[in-house]
This record gives sequence, structure tokens and C-alpha cells, in this order.
Amino acid sequence: MSVHMAKTKTIGEWKDPRKEFGKAVSEIAEENGDIVVISTDSGFSSGFKDFAARHPERYVECGIMEQGATGIAAGLACVGKIPVFCAIAPFVTCRNFEMFRNDLGYMRQNVKIVGRNGGFTYSDLGATHHSLEDFAITRMIPGVTVLCPQDPTEIRQACKAMLELEGPVYMRIGNPKIPVLFPEESPFAIGKGRLLRQEGGKDSATIVSTGTVTAEVLKAAELLEKKGIFARVIGLGTVWPLDEELILTAAAETGRIVTVEEHYVRGGLGSLVAELLSEKLPVRVKRIGVPLEYATSGPYEDLLRYYGLDAEGIAGAVEKFCGE
Amino acid sequence: MADRIARLQLKAAQCRRNVVRMVEASHHGHLGGAMSCLDIVTALYFDKMNIDPDDMQKPERDRFILSAGHKCMAQYAVMAERGIFDKAVLDTYGGFKTKLPGHPDMHKLPGVEANTGALGHGLSIGVGMALGLKADGKPSNVYVVMGDGELAEGSNWEAAAAAAQFGLSNLALFVDYNGLQISGPVEDVMNFMPVTEKFRSFGWSVREINGNDMSEIVKALDALPFEEGKPSMILAHTVKGKGVSFAEGKASYHYWTPSEEELETAIRETEAEIRRLEAVCGEVRV
Repeated sequence: MSVHMAKTKTIGEWKDPRKEFGKAVSEIAEENGDIVVISTDSGFSSGFKDFAARHPERYVECGIMEQGATGIAAGLACVGKIPVFCAIAPFVTCRNFEMFRNDLGYMRQNVKIVGRNGGFTYSDLGATHHSLEDFAITRMIPGVTVLCPQDPTEIRQACKAMLELEGPVYMRIGNPKIPVLFPEESPFAIGKGRLLRQEGGKDSATIVSTGTVTAEVLKAAELLEKKGIFARVIGLGTVWPLDEELILTAAAETGRIVTVEEHYVRGGLGSLVAELLSEKLPVRVKRIGVPLEYATSGPYEDLLRYYGLDAEGIAGAVEKFCGE
Repeated sequence: MADRIARLQLKAAQCRRNVVRMVEASHHGHLGGAMSCLDIVTALYFDKMNIDPDDMQKPERDRFILSAGHKCMAQYAVMAERGIFDKAVLDTYGGFKTKLPGHPDMHKLPGVEANTGALGHGLSIGVGMALGLKADGKPSNVYVVMGDGELAEGSNWEAAAAAAQFGLSNLALFVDYNGLQISGPVEDVMNFMPVTEKFRSFGWSVREINGNDMSEIVKALDALPFEEGKPSMILAHTVKGKGVSFAEGKASYHYWTPSEEELETAIRETEAEIRRLEAVCGEVRV
């Protein structure tokens, strides 16, 4: 089993995920001339302003047409390009779903779709700008890899990995600054999670999370430890394909699984984990996420708290679950 | 020129027989649109496109995208006639795990460039291909055939704007205007006339032809690109079900499940047309 223990429980420097993403892709694109950036009036906000200035011939501005742009990306991939198309998450998953499914999935094209401001990080802008179903949507397209990096380090690692992978990829990144959790030299592989905390036989549950909410999960685990409850923590930078081995081992050893995601509890990571465990190793599962409703709006931290996705909310839910 | 036209007309007639052959095998298929666009597809594969039937993956090849994927019997008929795949495969049309499903699949049939079927996808894909080929300085051209009912898909107009914005003179679009869709005349269902004016205002260079008249098709193809720096659109007026008398101009033959009598008539008529054109070409049937 590949175990990547976080060496530190402390939270590192806070960085802008969009800038980290844009910088990472741009650096790789300096070396790989096949990479083209697709913008739907979205490239500058996705961290590609410098790239657009340096390589205008590889920066394709389409205007606000996510359906057309997805088809254009497929066509570019058909002739050997590696398009990276980043825009606000619902507009590159919901709006263009059929193009994603047919032109990228069914046609197996090497296009990287990146939904930024994912989850409800565009908190105050309301439900039109939230994406709480993007994992559910993209994981139903055969052949699509679904990534959701958890910190700035993993964003850079995931960019490299997705550009090395031949085939369609969906990656979700957020908007507000996020803390560094993982050291630069920590290994990353698509489909492999990180074992972030464990206390061996003392663990009474395992929390499995994805995306930047993992920082809250780590804080929650510390809160729980103060109460004498030890929680194992698995952080997933890949939603699909699921790291089955890591989850099944944790389920066998701790007997309870809690999933945490900034996504609807239906159809996302919680559903994937529940599907896996119900078939291969039935244990008690608690899914933490957003109920199936149009999420309310307001400051991001308030929404996290409201939906129980902050450290206190997660810790409280895990404590209650462990007592059931 | 006369020989060239007659030869292409004969090829189109042979391809129409291939379409009927597929329906003989499967007893169903989208006949109307396949027959209306068939002369255009024939001219592209036999007279215009730079392709190697023995290697349809050559990077410098021209690309053909049938955006109206339900007309795939036309594409299959022409590809088989062109020698891209064995004609015996035509008899598997619609069968279990066939290379020839009811909408084309590039991974099942080498030589198909895009998986179309859902309408309003092909032009965007064509724009992406043309843009990438142009960026690489390749001489390849991209040809897209779209249906008329398909004009109502908004994504087409996104692609139309992009093609003009990117100055894709290596892209040509045929709108197969047979004037009929499932619910009736296109102009009654959702009117996009004047289509030529719409494309012109989007920045395309436009011509209007009889899309079942081989000399008009060839003339338009010879004139491509109509204007340097602009994508080209050909509004091709066609007859739905062309070449099968009882189906011509009838929306009800959009999708055809033939009776034995209809099938026999279609075979007889398409074979008679081949013999007529063989005589014109001065060729002897083997």
C-alpha cells in the first residue's frame, strides 16, 4: 500500500489556486508546444494572462461559447493538439455536457477541462455559479478522469499528471486562497490517494475527503483527538478512478467511513465510496456534503459552516457517528 | 469536364445502390437525408479531398465531418465505393457490433473523423480541426456537411462565429437543404431562411447551388476557398430521398422501414440509373 503521510499537521502558506494552476500549465506548455489554451472569455481569470501574451498563437479565445469551445477543443485534439480549457465550473460541465460526453468522452480526445471556482467557492454569486454536481456529471462519462487537488502543491502535481495522461480529464479547482498541505517532494499519482493521519489500532473511523476541504478535515481530526477520538484521514486528489485499495484497507481496519466533499452528497465522492463499500466490504458510512438543494449564497466561510463542512462541523458529525 | 461530371454521376449512382444495399441488410435507415447529400459526399471523396484510401490517418489528409450523423449511409456508401473499406461490410449495417452503426463512430470505422449523431456538434469540431491544421501550416482542408433542420441548434452559430473570427479559409460547410425535417417543412418548423444572409453576416463567403447537380457541385468545389481569409458556406438545395422515386420530396422517408415492394423498386431504380450512366460514360458493365 502506498502511504503518503503528511509530515506536518500545521497549515502552510496560503496561495491562489487559479494562479497556481495557470502557472503550472504555462510552465509545462513552455516545454510542450502541442499544448493550447482555450478561453471562453475566461483565460485571464484562469491564470493565463502571461501565457496569452507570450504565446498568442497557442491561446484560443472563443468568446463566451462553452458548447462551441468544447467542440473546438475536440477538433484541435483530433489534429494533435493538447487543449486545456478552463472556465467557471458549471459552464464547462453542465452547459456543455453533451459536447463533453460525445466530443471528448465518446471520441476519446486528449482534452483537459478545468472547472474553476468549483463547489460553492463563488459563494456570494449564487447557485448559477456553484458546481455541486460536477463530480457526478463527469464521472458518468466513460473514460474521463476526475481530479480535485487538495492544495497548491497538488494542483501543480495534478497539472503535470493530467498533461502526461492521454485522454479526457476533468479537474476542479477553487477560488479563494488555500493553504499548502503537502511538501513539494511528496509523490502524486492519478488514482492514488494520500494517507494523511493514522493512529493504527486506535482509529475509530476514517475520513475520506477530496479537494480543499481536506484542510478542514485535518483540523477536524485534531479537534477530535483532543476529545480522545482518533480518526484516520485519507485525502484524494483523484475522485475517479477511486483509490479502492486505500479505502478498503481503511474500512477493514477502522470499521467506519466518513466522506467529506464540497459537492452534493448524491452522486459524488460519498456515493462512489458507498458504492464501493456496499459491494466489497459493507461498513457504516456517513456522507458529509451539501444536500440536494440550490445552495444559499453569502461569504464562503459562512457557507462552509452552514453545510457542516468546516472543521467544527466535520468533527461534530464524526463524533456523533462514532457514538452511534 | 463533361467526362469528369459523368464519371462522378456514375459514382454517385453506384453509391445510391450501396445505400439501398445497407437497407436490404438492416431493413431500416435514414434514407431521405442520406440520398439528398449523397452527390456532395461523392464529389468530395472522389474529386476533391486529398485522401489515401489505404491510409486514412495521414496527417496531411483532408478531413470530412458529417455533422448530420444520421445521414451516415451516404458516408458509408461513398467510403466503401472509394475503397476505404470492403463493400461486404455494407451488409453489416445496423447489425450487432457492426463497424457501421446508425451514426458514425471513428473508433469503429477507420476513416471516420468524428462521432456525430447529436446535431450541432460537427461544425465546432471542424472549426477546431481547421484551426489546428492552419496553425501547423498544413495544407489540409476540412469539409463539413450539415442538415437544414440542424440549423436550429444554437451551437452551430457559436461555431459559425468562431470560424469567421479565426479566418478559416481551409473550412467549407455544405448545408444540405432538402427543406424537410421530421415534423414537416423546415421553414414551418423553425425558419432560418435566408440562410445565406445569416452566414454572410457572420463573416462567411457564401454560394448557393443545386446540391444534386454534379456540375454545380464541382464548380463550387473548384472555387474553394471563395474568399481568402473567410470560411466558405455552400447552401445546397437538394431533394430528400433523391434517386428513389416514391421517396423523393417526402418527409415520411426521413427514416425508412421499407416494404418488400418498396425495396424492390428502390433496387430496380438505382440499378437502372447505374446502367444509364454507364452507357453515358461509354463503359461496359462487368
